[in-house]
Amino acid sequence: MEINEITDGDVRILELNGRLDSANYVVLENKMQELVTAGVKNTLINCKNLDYISSSGLRIFLIYLKKYNSFDGKLYLCCLQEMVDEIFKISNFKSIFRIFDTKQEALKELK
Amino acid sequence: MTHYLHYKDPNSPEMIGRLKELPKCPGVCFFIDLINSTNIKYKTEVVDWGRKLNNTFNFISFLNDFPDNVVKGIGDEIMLYIPDEELGKKSVYKDYFSILLELYATLDNIKNFPGDDDFLKCKVGIHYCTDVYNISFFQDAHDYYGRDIDLTARLMSKTVENRIVMSEKFYQKVKHDVSQYPDDQGKHVFEMISEKYIEDFKGVPKSTEFRVINV
Repeated sequence: MEINEITDGDVRILELNGRLDSANYVVLENKMQELVTAGVKNTLINCKNLDYISSSGLRIFLIYLKKYNSFDGKLYLCCLQEMVDEIFKISNFKSIFRIFDTKQEALKELK
Repeated sequence: MTHYLHYKDPNSPEMIGRLKELPKCPGVCFFIDLINSTNIKYKTEVVDWGRKLNNTFNFISFLNDFPDNVVKGIGDEIMLYIPDEELGKKSVYKDYFSILLELYATLDNIKNFPGDDDFLKCKVGIHYCTDVYNISFFQDAHDYYGRDIDLTARLMSKTVENRIVMSEKFYQKVKHDVSQYPDDQGKHVFEMISEKYIEDFKGVPKSTEFRVINV
């Protein structure tokens, strides 16, 4: 999985490309920790090119949602593909994350 | 392929012949048991406990690409089996270590999910099986039998909420896989695995070695 990082004002956007599972969740974990350590408070994870997420991937999302909440930060998601959307529904992660259909809608809320 | 056996003649030569020729089906067996499922049936109505069972079973099986590997449900416990020949074909996991990582993450996600209205906590027993056969005695059913299946069930007696109990055989498989992983991928989970324990389980002639990991 590759991560493209874009800065838009005080929002950090991470574009995930590929699959997120036990083989590579550490990549996202390291990047998220980097952002937290740098004091980034507003982060958008763009899942447009995220093909699949397993429990290992969900775990990183949950860990960092809690971290962002602890310092009143915002960790939002956008552009979930159908499979990932279903996984979020089954895991009930849709009830704990703010998820937007488009990047524009998410950025509007974050800024 | 499941071998269906159903002979009305207790001494059927055909049955004996087939049993002698049965191929073994090595792989990973694990049981996942939902915690407090009996307790909530007395404290709540089916609308509530049925929903939690649905949600938890879905969470476990669907997310980890397991639906095809669910062998059966036994009340609030499900049995899963991944034959070795399928392991490399799965999308989510390709080796024994990745199975452990996904199971660990599943339990961790359930444990840490905000609130406790949606899911039930779990406990897991897992064993690498070599003495195992893909047999069913009921038409259109799918099952596995063998000494190692029974041993996996015995491991459940050592499980508690948010714990994975693994046989030493499975641990050694995981240990080999970890050595092939680059960098620190998942190694913090591997380092959480306990020292080896040894116990006698009912019906199992030799002492069993196992390890645990608490989520």
